[in-house]
Amino acid sequence: MTEHTTTAAAFRATLARDLLIAYKRKNDIVNPFMFFLIVATLFPIGISPDPQRLGEIAAGVLWISALLAAMLSMDNLYRADYEDGSLEQLLLSPHPLYFMVLAKNISHWLVSGLPVVLASPLIAYMLNLPADAYFALFMTLLLGTPVLSLLGSIGVALTVGLGSRGLILAVITLPMSVPVLIAGTMAVQQTHNGAPLTGYLAILGAMLLVSITLAPLASAAALRISIN
Amino acid sequence: MWQWFFKLGSPKWFYELSGKWLPWLVAAMSLLLVIGITWALLFVPPDYQQGNTIRIMYIHVPFASISLAFFPLMAVAGTITLVWRMKLADMVAKTAAPLGAWFTALALISGSIWGSDIWGTWWIWDGRLTSMLLQFFLLVGVISLRSALEDTDAAAKACAVLSIVGCINVFVIKYSVDWWNTLHQPSSPIGMAGDSANGPEIWVPLVIMIVAVYLFFAVSLILSTRNEILQRERRSKWVQELLASA
Repeated sequence: MTEHTTTAAAFRATLARDLLIAYKRKNDIVNPFMFFLIVATLFPIGISPDPQRLGEIAAGVLWISALLAAMLSMDNLYRADYEDGSLEQLLLSPHPLYFMVLAKNISHWLVSGLPVVLASPLIAYMLNLPADAYFALFMTLLLGTPVLSLLGSIGVALTVGLGSRGLILAVITLPMSVPVLIAGTMAVQQTHNGAPLTGYLAILGAMLLVSITLAPLASAAALRISIN
Repeated sequence: MWQWFFKLGSPKWFYELSGKWLPWLVAAMSLLLVIGITWALLFVPPDYQQGNTIRIMYIHVPFASISLAFFPLMAVAGTITLVWRMKLADMVAKTAAPLGAWFTALALISGSIWGSDIWGTWWIWDGRLTSMLLQFFLLVGVISLRSALEDTDAAAKACAVLSIVGCINVFVIKYSVDWWNTLHQPSSPIGMAGDSANGPEIWVPLVIMIVAVYLFFAVSLILSTRNEILQRERRSKWVQELLASA
């Protein structure tokens, strides 16, 4: 590298590279999304097709499906890069690893989280979510799913060197996602009962800011340990 | 002060020192356990509402209170591992995780037995119960990460990072779960245990039991850490000599 690149340029390059790879391998986009749809479909089949009952659990169903979809797609985050060696190059780069990890997390969310958020009103309609809860559901998913990506990234970074890590990743990351799940589903239920949404959005926003600040640091430390 | 700190990091020094402490700790623990259990089971007056079931409190409260200490302990040990590369800190962190899972499970089980009589149900999704269950899951995550990583050094650092993240998370989970629950259900009758209206004949044996269980925790942690020291240092000269003389 003869030219001196700024960290901002490296950040943009990493983000663009990851998005391009995802675009070329469309499975990375389609699979988490299909998984989300299928899991959401299982709930009416498994619990009850009664619209009244579905309406009560719709928010929780959507949140859990989004959580599982985020979990499933987590492996894409570092695995291919670990296997072809580009992750090591990333660690060797002179730029702070924090920003590289953040770029990868943002691209992961754009690829796997955002489609789920955008499709959520449709699934909510199929699950008979009360009309006044749509906005709350959409906004909480919009703020909450990036937190899931950021938290999951820590778990993936810790286990990236392991051969079979599907279950251990879930065991590590799923309990950590509970506060987001609580804030998200409570916001939907309570706004449906007439409480103002802003308080819940503030809490989710705070969770998002704290995870943006701290989670990439933990992911970066974990990556350095895993690659070594 | 720093010299003392780094000396403590030497497994050999800890092994010798803890060997001297151990008989005293075991003696104090046994004495307090015998006094506490006898007092709690035989002499505490039955509660006017709960009857004899109140005696479960003397097992449940000590275990529940100490299980909250595990994640902070592991996070501190993890920080020491990451910053000073101290071997002993990781040995403590490694043995603390399964112990913590056991203590948390015992707190949950004893609470469940208590609840089955008082609340009429073995399980409710109460804030405290849920956060304890999630803490149990997080501890299981640390244990399984440790066993999945074969390289001891990498496992030490990875578990240190996970413990620090988990420690922050345990607090966030605790507050969010309490908040989740209080909006949905009335608060649980667990608060009775700490009721200041209770006389000394109720709380003195409880304090004895809490101290006894803390000592039990210290003894278990020291014993399993000593075991871990011997295993990891089995190739060093002092362990070889120790084993030869034994």
